[in-house]
Amino acid sequence: MIFNNTALPILILLVPAVASITFKWGNIKLATAISAIIEIFLSLLLYIDKPASGVFFIDNISVLFIFMVTSIYFFSSLYSIKYFSQHDIYISDDLYFLLLNLFTISMLFTLEINNFGLMWVGIESTTISSALLIITERNETSLEAAWRYIIIVSAGVTFAFISIILIYYVTGTLTMSTIINSSFKSKFLVLAVAISLMGFGTKSGVFPVHTWLPDAHSEAPSPVSAMFSGVLLPVALYVIYRVYEIYPLKTVYVWIATLSIVMAAIFLIYQDKYKRMFAYSTMENMNIALIGFALGGPGIVGALILLLSHSFSKAGAFYSSGNILRLTKSKKIDDVNGLYENSPITAIALLFSSFGAAGTPPFGSFFGEIIIFFSLYQQHFLVPFILVILSVISVFISINFNVTKMIFENGKNNSKIDRSMEIIALISSIVPLAIGGYILILMGGLV
Amino acid sequence: MEETLLLETISQVLFTLLMAPLFSGIMVKLKANVESRKGPSIFQPYFDLIKLFKKEILIPSTSGIFFKIGPYLSFSIYLFISFLIPVLIPTPVIFTASADFLGGALLFSTASFIKVLAAFDSGSNYAKLGASRIMSFNFLAEGTLITVFFAVSILTGTNNPYTTIELLTSNPLSDLSLLHLFSLIAFFMLFLFETGKIPLESKGVQELGMIDSSLNFEYSGKLLALNEWGSYMKQYLLGSVLLNVFLFPWGLFSGIPFFLIDIPIMFLKWMILIIIITVIETSLAKLRLFRIIDYLTVAFTLSVLFLILTEVISV
Amino acid sequence: MNMIQSIIFLIASMVAISGFYIQGIEFIIANIRGQSIQSILIASLSFIMGFLERSLDLIILGIMVVILRVILINYFLERTIPKKRKFSVEKYLSVPYLLIVDLIFIVLSVILIYKFVFSSMILRESIAPSNILVFPLITFFQGMFLIASRKSTHTQIIGYVEEENAMILFGIFLLPIPLIIEASIFLDVLALVVISSIIVLEKNEHNPVEDLIG
Repeated sequence: MIFNNTALPILILLVPAVASITFKWGNIKLATAISAIIEIFLSLLLYIDKPASGVFFIDNISVLFIFMVTSIYFFSSLYSIKYFSQHDIYISDDLYFLLLNLFTISMLFTLEINNFGLMWVGIESTTISSALLIITERNETSLEAAWRYIIIVSAGVTFAFISIILIYYVTGTLTMSTIINSSFKSKFLVLAVAISLMGFGTKSGVFPVHTWLPDAHSEAPSPVSAMFSGVLLPVALYVIYRVYEIYPLKTVYVWIATLSIVMAAIFLIYQDKYKRMFAYSTMENMNIALIGFALGGPGIVGALILLLSHSFSKAGAFYSSGNILRLTKSKKIDDVNGLYENSPITAIALLFSSFGAAGTPPFGSFFGEIIIFFSLYQQHFLVPFILVILSVISVFISINFNVTKMIFENGKNNSKIDRSMEIIALISSIVPLAIGGYILILMGGLV
Repeated sequence: MEETLLLETISQVLFTLLMAPLFSGIMVKLKANVESRKGPSIFQPYFDLIKLFKKEILIPSTSGIFFKIGPYLSFSIYLFISFLIPVLIPTPVIFTASADFLGGALLFSTASFIKVLAAFDSGSNYAKLGASRIMSFNFLAEGTLITVFFAVSILTGTNNPYTTIELLTSNPLSDLSLLHLFSLIAFFMLFLFETGKIPLESKGVQELGMIDSSLNFEYSGKLLALNEWGSYMKQYLLGSVLLNVFLFPWGLFSGIPFFLIDIPIMFLKWMILIIIITVIETSLAKLRLFRIIDYLTVAFTLSVLFLILTEVISV
Repeated sequence: MNMIQSIIFLIASMVAISGFYIQGIEFIIANIRGQSIQSILIASLSFIMGFLERSLDLIILGIMVVILRVILINYFLERTIPKKRKFSVEKYLSVPYLLIVDLIFIVLSVILIYKFVFSSMILRESIAPSNILVFPLITFFQGMFLIASRKSTHTQIIGYVEEENAMILFGIFLLPIPLIIEASIFLDVLALVVISSIIVLEKNEHNPVEDLIG
């Protein structure tokens, strides 16, 4: 290819940085949108032309994550331009886009770099750059939610630093590729892997350190929530997976993830605000993907399919929520009725997104979950298998009950919102359908 | 050997009995001099005691039997403690084996409990005020006292106060461990509380500052003299434990005629302690009453923390 | 243990004790100063060990700790306290209760974790005996307890910085982490404190919020 081997990852990192520099000249919105389009192409190029291991470490899994990050970045930046166009926010528009770009750079940095210590630094910098994004609309609750996010996540990630120190102590190096390719055996590595589950799991929605999740998601503006659910949590999951590869502690990971799924299902039953409901659904999906990563083999494939379709569905769900918020000015489920009559596009987007998030066939997430459940059964984790299936069914029922209540109940509401916001939500929610359809075709071709 | 032992015992007990008021007098005089006053003579506590012994005893009509026998009990307990703890002689004397460090700490608690009970029994309101104050602080003070003594026992591997001194003196200086240091600080804080120094309690007749002295409110005559004497002895005993076990274990001899040298050496050590106490008394202000519990919590935390750390990491 | 080792041990224990000091103080400005005392102790430890091992990395680490933690973090945090109210306290605080609960928490968590996990680690023996690792662990849990037990934003920030201090201490004793990573960690913490100082201006106390339950 025309690009040098390591130039491509660096270029991926640089493009949003260049867009951020236009902060001074006031064109940052346009620059961000352009850089997002360029990023998607670059990530597709990366799939074709991966650099060798050195400073950067890219394999198929990383490329998928990078593609996820760049696509949601694209959707969110387009949506943000429209979302804030008529409303006053606390931080200025330009600062918002600058922070969005920095956020994306830090996530891409974490995905690309080959060093555990620098991955930790990347995760910390995602906290820094996203903290101010939560308080975009300034009121008491969003300040409280932002503060909880900062403190809980930072404390947890600091805890994860112990595991990085332990890895360095045992293996004498922090380079990811060398550690994973050789095999070290030490009880300190066991400790490191367990600590990193709890530490990085704070950022990824593992019970019991997930408590910032619903607060931050419900108080942040919708494009920011979409980026959180769609890409930030999967990036943290990626780091957990990389540490897990050093010394697979299968039973511990599967059981803790099962516990988180059960707790998410329980919490979801009580929700009366739609954004928090979607946040708990994110937690559930992340932990199913964690089970997939922990099981290995086909489980990894299932987890990747799930994560890809989930990020698009959840982004679509949050974009629809943003539309609903602009339409009805209320965050509660009970205050929203009659969506189908007022704005049918939003209603369809919401319906498709919630189907995709809950794992309905023929959306892509269903196939991912099926593969993971099958691996669970195959590896004789029977009790987690039953618990997870029960929880997924419960989540499915809760989410769709609430969503259909919002869409199909009778009510009159005459506000209007910008057409393009609805279109973006719709597109984002249809992508998982396309993924599911593609998989069906593949399976049909095989059978 | 028997006569040596007997002589040492008698000299230790008599020293405690007779010299305790002297140290208190020196402390008061030194503090007065620092404050540019002339101050009372250093033998003033003796004159006070003699005067009190000659006065008549007045007993409130609301008091019970305990009020009358309390001072005798606590005084005899303090006298008994002077057998147990190396306040003058570094080797065991007669009756030493009756109680070790833990027993000594428990005896201190018993004596103060008897005093409080007697004050309570007097039926007077001020005495009850002082009694309730002391009881609300004592739970931390007693805990600190016991854990500090345990700390020393863990350090030297023995519970006997006398062998503790020997073991401490035989180790070189660099083995002075963290546990010893922090127990010393905790015990010093406790010492200031138990003997009623600023920043915890101000002597005098203002009842806002009274903790210990309010227990003596209703006493007069011989009983008051016994109580005062008991307080001086308690101060001497605690201070000697601080000096001989924690701060400077060296310099004490035993056996005839060397044990007589112990007397001036104890004087010297006590001078150092008196100077330290005077510096603290004249430079700090009294803590407010509800802050005293914070002070005691700090002492307690220090002593317990390092006690447990020692067990875990054998520091 | 010879003299140098005793001194290192003593300074490490002072770090743990200063954690208790921070826990027991009501005045917010005293909390911030307490944290800088901790950082100065850590920097001095880093200097001593740098001289002992002839390692330039540790000395640079010490200088960075002093600049970033002591000077800059203090500057940013003190800017958020209005000048006239330097004596502001955190309300409704009961010091002895907190200190004793803290003590119980530390004893249970650190002692258990240390006994079962870390006691078999071997450090570079020339510097300090291996059981010095208990002090960073105590400081870490102190930071966690500080965050959990307080409602004021300033104190929670100090608790987080205390956790990071414990990490540095851990790193110094166990194996010196490459300098680049340490530098980026410092800058991260600095950025976090800057961001927090923005939030602190808005919101001083944290009580349970109705909307965020469930």
